[in-house]
Amino acid sequence: MPRVRDDYEDDLDEEEGDEYGGEELLDDEEEAEDEEEDEDYDAGEKSAKKRRRSEFIDDAALEDDEEEDDDYGGRRSSKKGRGGGGFIDDIALEADEEEEEEEEGEDDFIVDNPADIVEDDDRRMHRRPLLPREDQEEDVEDLERRIQERYARSSQAEYDEETTDVEQQALLPSVRDPKLWMVKCAIGREREVAVCLMQKFIDKGSELQIRSAIALDHLKNYIYIEADKEAHVREAIKGMRNIFGAKITLVPIKEMTDVLSVESKAIDLSRDTWVRMKTGTYKGDLAKVLDVDNVRQRVTVKLIPRIDLQALANKLDGREVAKKKAFVPPPRFMNIEEARELHIRVERRRDPMTGDYYENIGGMMFKDGFLIKTVSMKSISTQNIQPTFDELEKFRQPDERDGEIGSLSTLFANRKKGHFMKGDAVIIVKGDLKNLKGWVEKVEDGNVHIRPNEKGLPVLCSTSELFLQYSKLVLSVCLLLSFFMQKTLAINEKELCKYFEPGNHVKVISGSHEGATGMVVKVEGHVLIILSDTTKEHIRVFADHVVESSEVTTGVTKLGDFELHDLVLLDNMSFGVIIRVESEAFQVLKGVPDRPEVVLVRLREIKSKIDKKLVAQDRSKNTISVKDVVRVLEGPCKGKQGPVEHIFRGVLFIYDRHHLEHAGFICAKSQSCLVVGGSRGNREKIGDPLSYLRTPQRVPQSPGRLPPRAGGRHRGGPGGRGHDSLIGTTVKIRLGPYKGYRGRVKDIKGTTVRVELESQMKEVTGKDSSRYGMGSETPMHPSRTPMHPYMTPMRDPGATPIHDGIIGKKRILLRGEPPGSPPSRTYDAPTPGSGWANTPGGSYDAATPRDNGSAYVNAPSPYLPSTPGQPMTPSSAAYLPGTPGGQPMTPGGGGLDMMSPAIGGENEGLWLLPDILVNVHKPGDDAMIGVVQEVMADGSCRVALGSDGSGDMVTAQPNEIEVIQPRKSDKIKIMGGAQRGSTGKLIGVDGTDGIVKVDDTLDVKILDMGILAKLAQS
Amino acid sequence: MFFHIILERNMQLHPRHFGARLREKLVSKLIKDVEGTCSGRHGFVVAIMGIEHVGKGLIRDGTGFVTFPVKYKCVVFRPFKGEILEAVVTMVNKMGFFAEAGPVQIFVSNHLIPDDMEFQSADTPNYTTSDGSVKIQKDTEVRLKIIGTRVDATEIFCIGTIKDDFLGVISDPSAAV
Repeated sequence: MPRVRDDYEDDLDEEEGDEYGGEELLDDEEEAEDEEEDEDYDAGEKSAKKRRRSEFIDDAALEDDEEEDDDYGGRRSSKKGRGGGGFIDDIALEADEEEEEEEEGEDDFIVDNPADIVEDDDRRMHRRPLLPREDQEEDVEDLERRIQERYARSSQAEYDEETTDVEQQALLPSVRDPKLWMVKCAIGREREVAVCLMQKFIDKGSELQIRSAIALDHLKNYIYIEADKEAHVREAIKGMRNIFGAKITLVPIKEMTDVLSVESKAIDLSRDTWVRMKTGTYKGDLAKVLDVDNVRQRVTVKLIPRIDLQALANKLDGREVAKKKAFVPPPRFMNIEEARELHIRVERRRDPMTGDYYENIGGMMFKDGFLIKTVSMKSISTQNIQPTFDELEKFRQPDERDGEIGSLSTLFANRKKGHFMKGDAVIIVKGDLKNLKGWVEKVEDGNVHIRPNEKGLPVLCSTSELFLQYSKLVLSVCLLLSFFMQKTLAINEKELCKYFEPGNHVKVISGSHEGATGMVVKVEGHVLIILSDTTKEHIRVFADHVVESSEVTTGVTKLGDFELHDLVLLDNMSFGVIIRVESEAFQVLKGVPDRPEVVLVRLREIKSKIDKKLVAQDRSKNTISVKDVVRVLEGPCKGKQGPVEHIFRGVLFIYDRHHLEHAGFICAKSQSCLVVGGSRGNREKIGDPLSYLRTPQRVPQSPGRLPPRAGGRHRGGPGGRGHDSLIGTTVKIRLGPYKGYRGRVKDIKGTTVRVELESQMKEVTGKDSSRYGMGSETPMHPSRTPMHPYMTPMRDPGATPIHDGIIGKKRILLRGEPPGSPPSRTYDAPTPGSGWANTPGGSYDAATPRDNGSAYVNAPSPYLPSTPGQPMTPSSAAYLPGTPGGQPMTPGGGGLDMMSPAIGGENEGLWLLPDILVNVHKPGDDAMIGVVQEVMADGSCRVALGSDGSGDMVTAQPNEIEVIQPRKSDKIKIMGGAQRGSTGKLIGVDGTDGIVKVDDTLDVKILDMGILAKLAQS
Repeated sequence: MFFHIILERNMQLHPRHFGARLREKLVSKLIKDVEGTCSGRHGFVVAIMGIEHVGKGLIRDGTGFVTFPVKYKCVVFRPFKGEILEAVVTMVNKMGFFAEAGPVQIFVSNHLIPDDMEFQSADTPNYTTSDGSVKIQKDTEVRLKIIGTRVDATEIFCIGTIKDDFLGVISDPSAAV
C-alpha cells in the first residue's frame, strides 16, 4: 500500500498511465475475480473511502481529483475501480482471499484431510510473497496469518469427526493462551459495547491487541474481553462509552470454558405439565401448563386464584386500596356469583382461538374458577416439581370429567433420575409400546433396558402373524416384538412407570410416607393405595415412590429424641402419645379423654418425653399401672380393652390391638376404666411367681402376711412399679449351663427372665427366677451355699409353699437391694453405720453368736416379744425361733427383715414412720388426727392424738391408720424409696407426683405422693 | 388351602417323663407345642394327624433333657394369592372390613368392595348396597378372593377382594333371623 501512495504522490500527472501500469501489476487472480470485486465493493467501499480520506488528508488536490474521478461515471467506472483499486482491492482482496480460503476449506472439509489444509495454507503462504503488491497487503496477510494460527487448531479439530476426550481436553485453554477479562459496562449495553469494540478493531486494526469481545445474554453488566494482558484491555476500552475500565477482573483458566459453554436449557414444557410459579403472589403455587408459546417465551398456566374479592372490588371502584404486602390471600376458586354480588364487572368472552369461554374480571381471565394467566417462561420453575396429593386433588375438584388423577404422566417429565432398579416391574406409558409390561434389566442414564413380559409376547406374535397379510405395519411391529423377545428393549425412563398389582407388598421409599410398608390394595393409574402394615390405614402414594419389598416396617419410628408411642409433653403443657412419625412432624394423640384429638406437632414443639412410671386408680380404686389390662367403661371408647401403655395425670393411654384409629391408642380417664384380671401390680395376690422377684417392700402385701385391710385406704404406692423392679438390676445365675454368670435383667415374662450376660455379649432366657441371684454382692456368694441346709428345715415347719418361695427368692433379691433401700436400711438401724451390704464379711461370714445376739439386743425391743405370736408374719414367726443360729447367716434374708421395725410398719402402707400425721379410725369413733410416736414390729403404732401430738397416746392397728396426704408447701417425711426417713418440703404436686425439696441435701426430687406423709409440727 | 404334610421337629423332653408313657407324653407335648402355630413356609398347623416316626433321643449335656427328632403328619392351612375363601366378618370400618377364615385374618379394603356398596356408620357399622338388599356387617359370611398375603413369623395377613364375579355375601345372620 505505501507504494501506491508513492505513486500518487510522485506522478500525479501520470496517474492514468501509471494506473494502467498498476493494473498490469495486478495478479491474475484479481482479474479473474473482477466481478466479485464489484460485489465486494459495496462492503469495502465505506471503509476504503474512510481510509482513503485519512490517508490523503493533507493532499486536498488529490482528494478533489479523486472525487472528480468519482464523478466520471460509467466510462470511468472501471478506471475508478482501478483508481481506488489500490485501496479497495486491499479489502476486496482480503475478502476474496478469505472467501477463497473458505472455499478451499470447504473442499478440504469434504476431503477430510486436515494435513492438506495445513499444506495448502503453507503453499499459499509461500506463494503469496510472490504475488505482486503483496507487500501492500502485509498487514492484511499478517492478520490473516494470525487468524489462521489462532483458529487452525480448532478448525482442524472440527474436521476430525471422532474427537476423543483427550483431544477435547487439549483444546481447553492453558496458561499460554490469551486470558479472559471481565469488564464492567452499563447494564443493557453489553452487546453495544461488544459491537463498538468490534468496530474499533476494524478501524484501528492491529493497534488493538485484544483478541475478542464477548457479550453474554444472561450476564448483565459485564462483558468479556479476550487479551493477553490487562493493559491491552485497558488500551482497547480507552475512550469508550458505557464501559468502565475501573474494574477489570481476570477469569480463572478453569472457569473460562464455563463462560462460553452453552447450557442446553431445553425446557421440555408441554401442555399439562405441572409447574410452580417462581414469583409474585402465586410464588410456590402449583400451576398447570395450558399453552406454550416458544417464540415469545410465554406460557399460559392454570392457577388456583389467590384473589381478595373485596380488595378487587375496591380497586375496580377506584377506591383506595391499602397495599398490604404481608397478606397473601389464600388460594380459592373464583366464584363468579360472589364477584357479581360485590358489583365486580364480569365479562364473558369467547376466546377466538380455542372457542372456550372465559370470565374476565379486571383484566384477569377465569375459567371454571381457575385463573388463566400468561406468564414468562422465566417466572415458572419446571424442574423437579412434585405436586402433593392435596394440590392435585384441588386441581381436580371442579371438573371431574378429566378427573383421572392417575393421568399424571406429566409428573414424570421432571422426576428424579435413577429410581428404577433392576428387577422392577414397569409399564410403558407413552408411545407405540404403551401398556407393554416388563422388568427392568439395566439402567443407563435416561434409558432403561427392560425385558418385556415374556408371557404376553408370544401371543402377540402369533396373533400378529394372522394379520401379517393385511398389514405391513403389523409385520414390522411383530418383527420388532420378536426382536424384543431375545433382547432387552431400551426405553426412555420418561416413558416408563413402575407397575404394581393389587396384593403386592411394597415399601415407600420417598415422599411423605417414606419408610412405610404395606400391601397394594388398589392401583389407580400411577397412584397406588396401600394398606399400611402397622396402622392398617390406607396410604396414597405414587407408584414411583415405592419399591416391592417383603420387609415389614412402620416407616420412620424415630425423629429426634422421640419415638413412636412415646408419651410426650407438648409446648402448651398438654401431653399425648406419638401415634405416627412423619418426615418432619409427629402425629400426637392428645391426652384429652372426652374425644380423640390428634394434632400434628413439629419436633421443636415437643418439650420433653415423659418417662415416669406412674400409677392411677380405676373406678373401683384399684391401682392401675402400666401394662395392666383395662377395660374402658364409659366415654367414646366404651368397651375397648387393652393394656395401659402410659399413665399421666390420671389419663390412661390404652393400646387396643383391634382399634384401628390412632395407631390403636385410646385415651381415657383412669376413673372410667376398670382393671381387668387384676393389676399386675397386685398379681402376687394370686401367687404370681413373679412376686418373688419384687422388691421386698411389696412382699408384705401378699395376703398371707397381711392383715385384712380396706383396699380403698391403701394408696397405690409403689405397687405401680410392676415387673420393672428387677429389670436393669444385676443378677447372678445360680443354676444351669450359665451358672455363675452375671448379667443384667432385660425383661421378665412370666417366670422367665431374660438376662444380658456381662461376659458373653448375649442374652439368655432363664426359666426359673430362682436361678438368679443378685450379683452385685460378690463377697456374699461363698456364704450362700452353706445357707441352703439351714433354709430347708426352716421353711418346712410352718410356712406354706408360697412363703417358702418368698423366703427363697427374697433372700436372693435382697442381696441385690441397694444399700439405701428400706429393708436394708432398717436392718442398719440396729447397728448404725454397719449396713450388711457395706461390711458383708463382718455381718455374717464372721458372725459369731455374740454378734448375733447383739443384733437382737440392739434391735428395738418392742417387736421381739411380739414376733412369735405375729399372725401376719407367719414365715418370720416360724423361722425366727426355729433357727436362731442360722439367723445371722442369712443377713439379707427375709428373717432379718421381718424383724426390723420397718417390717411392722410395712403392714400398713409399709412406710409408717415416727413424727408423721395420720388419721386414726377406731371402730365406733370418728377419725382422729394423731402423730405417730412409735412403730411396733407388728405394724401397730403408738399414736399421740392431736395434730401436734399433745393428746392421749393410743395404740392403733395398721388398718386403722391412714396417712394424711400432704398439701403443697407442707413439711413432709418420705416413707419409701431411697430417701426413706428423710424430711423435706412439698414444693408442688403434679398429678400423683410430688415435688419435694429434701431438707438434708436440699435436692429437689419428684416422688410418688403415696410415699409422702405430712410431718407433724413440732 | 389345606395340605396334609409331614413335618419334623426336635422335641425336648424333661427327664421326669421318662418311663412307660414317654411316647404319649411326647405326642401331647408336640400337639401342645405345634398346633395353632404358624410358619411362613407352611402356614398354620391346624391339626396333628399322627406321628410318623420318633427318632433316637439325645441327652443334652447339663440339663438332662432329651431331644427327640419327631416326624409327624399334620394338616396345615396356608392361604394363597388368588385363592377363594369363605370367611366370617369380624369388624367393619370405613376403610373396609376384616374377616377371618380360621386363623387367617383377611382385610377387604373399601376399594375392593363393589362400588355400589356404601359404608353406613350405624350402630353396627356395615356396607350396604344402595337398594339395601345386601349387607355386610359383623358375623356376615362372605366369599372372597385373596389378592395378597403377608407372612410374618407368627401370623399370616391377607388382603382380599369381593369385587369380582360370584364373590360377596353368602349368608347373612341378620337376614336369617
